[in-house]
Amino acid sequence: MCDSPKRGARTVLALQAKNLTVSARIDGAVVPAIRGLSFDLAPGKILGLVGESGAGKSMVGRAIAQLLPAGFAVTAGALLFEGEDLAQMAPARRRFLLGRAIAFIPQAPMTALNPVRTIGAQFDEHLARLGEDSRNDRRERAIAMLTAARLPNACALLGRYPHQLSGGMCQRVLIALAFSSNPRLVIADEPTTALDVTMHPQILRLIADMQRQHGTAVIFITHDLRLAAQLCDQVTVMYAGRAVESGPARAVLSSPAHPYTRCLQLANPSMRAERRALYVMPDQMPSLRQLQNMSGCHFAPRCPLVTEECRRIEPPTVAISAGRMVACIRAAATSGIASAQRPVAAPDISKRPVLQVEALAKHYAIGRGLFATAHTATAVRNASFSIAENEFVALVGESGSGKSTIAKLLVGLEQPSGGRILLNGEDLTDAAARRRALAAASIQMVFQDPQSALNPRRRVASIVTQAMEAGSRHASWDERLARTRELLGEVGVAADLAARLPGQLSGGQRQRINIARALCHIPKILIADEIVSGLDVSIQAQLLNLLARLRAELGFAMLFISHDLSVVRHLCSRVLVMYRGEIVEQGPIDAVFDDPQHPHTRALLSSVPPDAPETAWSSLDPAVPTE
Amino acid sequence: MATAVSRSLRSPRVLIALGMIACIAACAVFAGFIAPHDPGDQNLLSTLTPPAWAAGGDQNYPFGTDSLGRCVLSRLIYGARTAMLVAIFASLGAMVIGSVLAHVSGYFGGALDWIIGRMVDVWMSFPPVILSLILMVGLGVGLGKIILAIILVDWTRFCRVLRSDVLIVTRHDYIAAARLLGFTHWQTIVREVLPATLPLLITLVSLEMAIAVVVEAILSFVGLGVAADQPAWGQMIADARQYVYQSPWNLLLPILAIIFTVTAFNLLGDGLRRSLDVRLAEAGR
Repeated sequence: MCDSPKRGARTVLALQAKNLTVSARIDGAVVPAIRGLSFDLAPGKILGLVGESGAGKSMVGRAIAQLLPAGFAVTAGALLFEGEDLAQMAPARRRFLLGRAIAFIPQAPMTALNPVRTIGAQFDEHLARLGEDSRNDRRERAIAMLTAARLPNACALLGRYPHQLSGGMCQRVLIALAFSSNPRLVIADEPTTALDVTMHPQILRLIADMQRQHGTAVIFITHDLRLAAQLCDQVTVMYAGRAVESGPARAVLSSPAHPYTRCLQLANPSMRAERRALYVMPDQMPSLRQLQNMSGCHFAPRCPLVTEECRRIEPPTVAISAGRMVACIRAAATSGIASAQRPVAAPDISKRPVLQVEALAKHYAIGRGLFATAHTATAVRNASFSIAENEFVALVGESGSGKSTIAKLLVGLEQPSGGRILLNGEDLTDAAARRRALAAASIQMVFQDPQSALNPRRRVASIVTQAMEAGSRHASWDERLARTRELLGEVGVAADLAARLPGQLSGGQRQRINIARALCHIPKILIADEIVSGLDVSIQAQLLNLLARLRAELGFAMLFISHDLSVVRHLCSRVLVMYRGEIVEQGPIDAVFDDPQHPHTRALLSSVPPDAPETAWSSLDPAVPTE
Repeated sequence: MATAVSRSLRSPRVLIALGMIACIAACAVFAGFIAPHDPGDQNLLSTLTPPAWAAGGDQNYPFGTDSLGRCVLSRLIYGARTAMLVAIFASLGAMVIGSVLAHVSGYFGGALDWIIGRMVDVWMSFPPVILSLILMVGLGVGLGKIILAIILVDWTRFCRVLRSDVLIVTRHDYIAAARLLGFTHWQTIVREVLPATLPLLITLVSLEMAIAVVVEAILSFVGLGVAADQPAWGQMIADARQYVYQSPWNLLLPILAIIFTVTAFNLLGDGLRRSLDVRLAEAGR
C-alpha cells in the first residue's frame, strides 16, 4: 500500500534522535526546550518518554510531526525516521509519511474527531487518502479495524457522530484509525489522561495488542512511571528538556540511577507498602524562562544529593551498564535516597460523627418543555454515610458517578431531592440551620481547578482571608494581614506572596492558596473535590503531606473526592465507592482494597498499575480475557 | 484594575479620545467664559454672516451667524453643554437600570432570568428611534425628558450584553466559594461578579454616550428635543436646513461637531475594549 523504503535487516531503526535540540525564542534569547536528546527506537519496540509537565516530552512528538509551537524550532541534531531526517526532508515527503508510516494517538480523543462528520465518513476519508479505491473495500476495512479495536457493532458505529460515543470509544476509534495504515511508528501522547481510570487498562492493552499485531514501533509519552514500567521496553526519563536517564524500562524503574527518577518514585503514593510521609522534592521544575539563567545540573536545586560541583558543571550523559545511560555525577549514591522512615502518624479519630448523611438523593428534571414529557435523571440515589471528627474519608468513582453532586449537596450549592444531611446533629436541609452553618463557615469546600476557584482580581491576602469580610463581619485590614501570614505559613507559601495575584503563582501555589482560603475559619469538615488531579506527582506529594500535617495541627474531617486510588489509600482511612449515583461499597480502605466486593471497585483497583516494575499487571496480560 | 487603567492610558486610541472629549467637556463647562456672545442674542442687522475666514466675514462672529443673527460659535459651544449632559446622564441612567437587571438576571437565573429576558426581547422589538419619538411626544420637550427617553429605550442594550458576561463569571468556582465563605448574594455580586464585568460596563457606557449624542441630535432636529430657547446641535441643523444654499457653513458646523463628539466616544469605547479585555490585550501583543 505504501512504498516502504528498502529496509536493511537490522540496521534501520524506526526512529532515532541524535543530539536533538529544540529551541524557543523568549524575549530575544534562544532557550533550548529540548537539549541534546538521543534515543534509538527499534522496529516493534515501545519507548516510554516519562516526565512531569514542562519536561519537554510532548515537544518530541511535535518535533516528529514538525508541528512545533510558534517560536520553537529544531536548532541542532537530527530526528531520523528509518534513516531520513524528519526536520530536513521535503514537506511533501513528510506529508506522505505522516498518517501513513507515522501515526498519532492524541491526548484528548473527544476533540480529535470532527464533531460534524460520522465515524464512517472520517474513516472513509482516511482510507481513501491511503489509496484504497473501492468504497466497499474501504467500508469493509473500516469495520475490520473497528472490530479489531474491540468496538462492538462496528457497522452501526460507522453512522454515529463522535458526540454519541463515550471518551473511551472515541479513543478506540482513533487507535483503529492510527493503525489502519499499518504504520511503522505510532506516537501516543498521554492517550489515557483524558479518560476515566476504569478505561485506562483497556485502552493501554489495546495499544499494546495492536502494536504486537502490526509490529509497530511506539513512542509512549506519559507522566506515570509505573505505567511506563508495565508497557514499555525502553524508557527515557526527561527533566527540564534533558534526558536524565534511559535504559530498559523495568531496570530503570526497579533501580533508578538518577536522583530525579528515584525522587519521583518515592513521591508516588503506593498501593501496597506501609503508609509513610511521601518523599517531597522542594520547589518545582524550572520554566523555560528560568532555564535561561541556570548553570550546572538543572535538577540541582531540588536534588537531595547536590554538591558544589553539580551547581557548577552540567553532568555529562554516561553509560553505567549495558544500554543504561544517566546524566548525573552522583548516580552511585541514588539508591540511598529514601523517604522519611517515620510512618504517617495514625490520627486520633474519635467515634463522634461530625457529618451524617442519610438517604440523600438528587434528581434533575430533564426534557421539560411545552410538548415534551418531563423525565427525571437521578444523579444521587439513597446515599448514606457518616464521617467522624478528624477522619479523612475518600469518595471514589468514575466521572458521572455523582461524586461532585454529593459535594455540592453537602455544601448547599444544590438542594437535595430527598434525605438528610446532619452536621453536628443539625439538619442542613433546613434553611435556618444551613444559614448558621454558612455563618460559622463550619463546612468548607476546596475546588478542583484553582484557575476557576480563585478570583483573578483579588490578591492572595484578600483571597485567603475572604471569609473575614463575609456577611456582617468587618475585620480590619491589619487583622486580615496577620491572619494571612498565619495561613500562608500553615500551607507553606512564602509570606511575601501575599500581595500577588493568582495569575502570578504556580499551579501548586495556587492550590495551596485554594486550601488556605477554606481553612481561614477552621472548618469542621472540608470537602475536597479532586484537588490533586491535574497536578504533577511532585506537587501532589507536597499537597498530600500538607493535608496530613494540617489535620494533625488544626484538626478537621475531610471528604476527599478522587479517582486516584493510590492517593486515596495514602491519605484516607475509609472509602466510599460510587457507581451510577449509588454508593455501592464502603468501609475501611484496607478492607475494601484487599477484598473488593462490588465489580466496580474491582474495576477501579485493576486500573492501578502495580508498584513494583517486576510485578506483571494482570490488566495488560494478553492471556487474561477482557470483559 | 490598576494595571488595566495604566494599560488603557498607554493606548493611543484612549489618549486621543480623552483629548477630544476634554475639549468638548471644557466647552460645555466653561461655555459662559469661552463663548463670545450669548447664544440667544439676535443681531438682526447681520443675519447669515459667513464665517470670519470667508469673503464678507465678520471678526465679531468667527463662525458667522444664523438666520436670526445669532452667533454660531456661541451656539455650538452651548450646544456642547446640552450634548454632554445628555451623553453623561442618559448613558449612566441606562447603565444603572440595564446592569442591575443584567446582574440579577445572570446571577440568579431561573424564572427571574426568563422574565427579564423576555422583557428585553419585547422592548428590543420596537425600533429605537420611533420608540423614543413616541416617548417624547408623551413626555413633552426638555433636557430631562430626552435623558429619560434615551434611558427607557437603551437600557436593554446593557442588559443583553452584560447578562452573558455575568453568566460566564458566575460559572466560576470562586463565586460558589464566596457563597460558602458566608458572602450574601449582594456581597457576592458587588465584590466578586461586578469587578469582572466592570471593564465591559465601562466600555458600553462610552459607546452609549456616542449613541446618546446622536439620539439627542435626532430628537432636537425634529423639534422634539430640548426647549426652543436652549441651543442644541440638532436644532441648529434643522434651522440651517432652509438656508443651506446661502450659508452651507451653518449646516456643516453642527454636523462636524456631532461627528467629532461621536468619534471621540466611539474611539474611547474601542480603545477601552481593547485594553480592558484581557484576552484582546494579550493577543494584541
